[in-house]
Amino acid sequence: MSRKISKTVNEFNQQLKPISLWADAWKRLRRNRMALISLWIVVIYAIIAVAAPILPFFDYRIQNLDHTNLPPSLRPAGQLAIEKLESQIAVLKERVGSGMDTLKPDLERAEQELAVAKDELISNPENRKVYIFGTDNLGRDMLAKTIYGARISMLVGFIGTLTAVLVGVILGAISGYVGGWLDNLLMRFVDIMYGLPYMLIVIILMAMFRKEGQSSIVILFVGIALVSWLTIARVVRGQIISLKNSEFVEAARSMGAGPGRIIFRHLLPNALGVIIVFTSLSLPSFIMNESFLSFLGMGVSAPLSSWGSLVSEGANTMELYPWQLLAPAIEMTIFLFCMNFLGDGLRDALDPQSKNRT
Amino acid sequence: MSKYIIRRLLSLIPTMFIIVTLSFFLIRFAPGGPFSSEKKVPEQVLQNLMRKYHMDEPMGKQYLRYLGDVLRGDFGPSFRYRDSTVNELIADSLPNSIVLGSFALFCATLAGIGVGIISSLKQNRWQDYTAMSIAVVGISVPLFVIGPVLQLAFAMKLHWFPLSGWITGRDGLKAMVLPALTLSFPYFAYIARLSRASLLEVLRSDYVRTARAKGLPERVVIVKHVLKGGLLPIVSYLGPAFSGIITGSIVVESVFAIPGVGRIFVQSALNRDYTLIMGEVIVYSLILVAMNFIVDIVYGFLDPRIAYK
Repeated sequence: MSRKISKTVNEFNQQLKPISLWADAWKRLRRNRMALISLWIVVIYAIIAVAAPILPFFDYRIQNLDHTNLPPSLRPAGQLAIEKLESQIAVLKERVGSGMDTLKPDLERAEQELAVAKDELISNPENRKVYIFGTDNLGRDMLAKTIYGARISMLVGFIGTLTAVLVGVILGAISGYVGGWLDNLLMRFVDIMYGLPYMLIVIILMAMFRKEGQSSIVILFVGIALVSWLTIARVVRGQIISLKNSEFVEAARSMGAGPGRIIFRHLLPNALGVIIVFTSLSLPSFIMNESFLSFLGMGVSAPLSSWGSLVSEGANTMELYPWQLLAPAIEMTIFLFCMNFLGDGLRDALDPQSKNRT
Repeated sequence: MSKYIIRRLLSLIPTMFIIVTLSFFLIRFAPGGPFSSEKKVPEQVLQNLMRKYHMDEPMGKQYLRYLGDVLRGDFGPSFRYRDSTVNELIADSLPNSIVLGSFALFCATLAGIGVGIISSLKQNRWQDYTAMSIAVVGISVPLFVIGPVLQLAFAMKLHWFPLSGWITGRDGLKAMVLPALTLSFPYFAYIARLSRASLLEVLRSDYVRTARAKGLPERVVIVKHVLKGGLLPIVSYLGPAFSGIITGSIVVESVFAIPGVGRIFVQSALNRDYTLIMGEVIVYSLILVAMNFIVDIVYGFLDPRIAYK
């Protein structure tokens, strides 16, 4: 054996380094610029979400009633608060001038507040804070709030996807490998579950079983995980069935490998590409479903907040303070956008022959 | 063929049965009841209420009674809106939802197919890239973000359309633009992507090459050969799209304050209005199941390669 085993020879007698599926896929993914940018943005989101407690963001719980409803800006909060008060005073003065005497006490109070704010502009360190996403109606930093919401949303997406993949892969693999009545039973069950108006059932579940003021995140997980595994189970089953009679499985079996070993060592690695693509595309859909429920007021409840509940809060005040809607909305949209692009890119990279490209 | 249709129709019965049973027991076993959230009612009144709605009977008996009523098309009285029956409430709200939903789906299909055709004919040119970027945005942005943002831009700032509400008659069309736009956006995006992908595949197929080789003008090739085969997948997507429109309408009707089934559904779930929730779930599921059924049959007529076994 003079030739190294790691080299192969093609029909032109050239020596080639064998390219693994993964190296090949990575090469294709790297050529897809949008997918690569998306990958970086998703990584940045993940780092910020995981490391938020140790990063120098403000605490999302701190309220500052002097700094309510400040617009997004790079200038210090004290300055913005003074400007807000000045414009308020100007409006009040005009109204008082045109005969609305009942507003006089308001004007006096605003002028006092302005004097205090000017006094404290330098002395109070709170006034040097910069709120780049603005503040909400209790003077909390929108940036910190949306990051905290992102943590919850991404956690739900992550756990939901993990459950879906674990349950779906195991059931799909068993169903496909064993076949027969078990396969029939499982697939009929999957068919029926597909026919259910899933969101309606989850809404009922959430509305009925959550208790006021109590964190309902567990029920949310149950509700979302209930149906999430269906698609992946079907896909994995199909892959297993198409592979289970091939020669390499026969070879493994003849060498005495048990069903467990065949499924997990020989069959599933061949379905890994499909599983990864499914995972990356289902993460955004979980986040969307959770936010959908939170928007309707049935997802995570009051002390916790997610992107959905932040958007829902923001929608109530959007006429006067549009940034309270736009900050979480844009942040969420960028993340979902990148996840979808990344998922598309991964599918093109891992499964270039895919028939389900849309 | 007719055998297949009959078999499919029969298979709808167990599905509907499971939906009814599952939601019935899900609702009944949840803690709290329809009368628990109100101010403290005297014991005697509560008992009378329970008796009036047959809530004092054993669960099994209630279930059988309900099944019997549903089979006769009677969803019973609403627990919360004391003066009306569930049938009346649904009859009032369903037409609004159907008008909005079908209008949205119609627009989404039309625009989606149009954009898909342009994209596939101009593959890898700027038209294609623009259209597909918009489509990914459409898939990524949730309805409850599009809705309020459109309200903010077109109703509050530009004053082109009313903010929310539902008006019948001529002005109603103007009030329907924003909610229909919101509801149709994700499906427009998905249909555009789907039709682009399938048209691209057909454009490269042998029979299209043959048609071109025969010397047919490009217009005829596209209209008679490519579109016929390339738009088939859209038909099979309409079933899932309809179910998406149904859940989507829950959000859109809440955002735009439209008196449709979706808005009532959320309220009734929070109010624990047992009969109303059940009625809505049954109506929704029937529509869903019927749509999937129709789509399957239509697909079979359009695609002769499908054999019914």
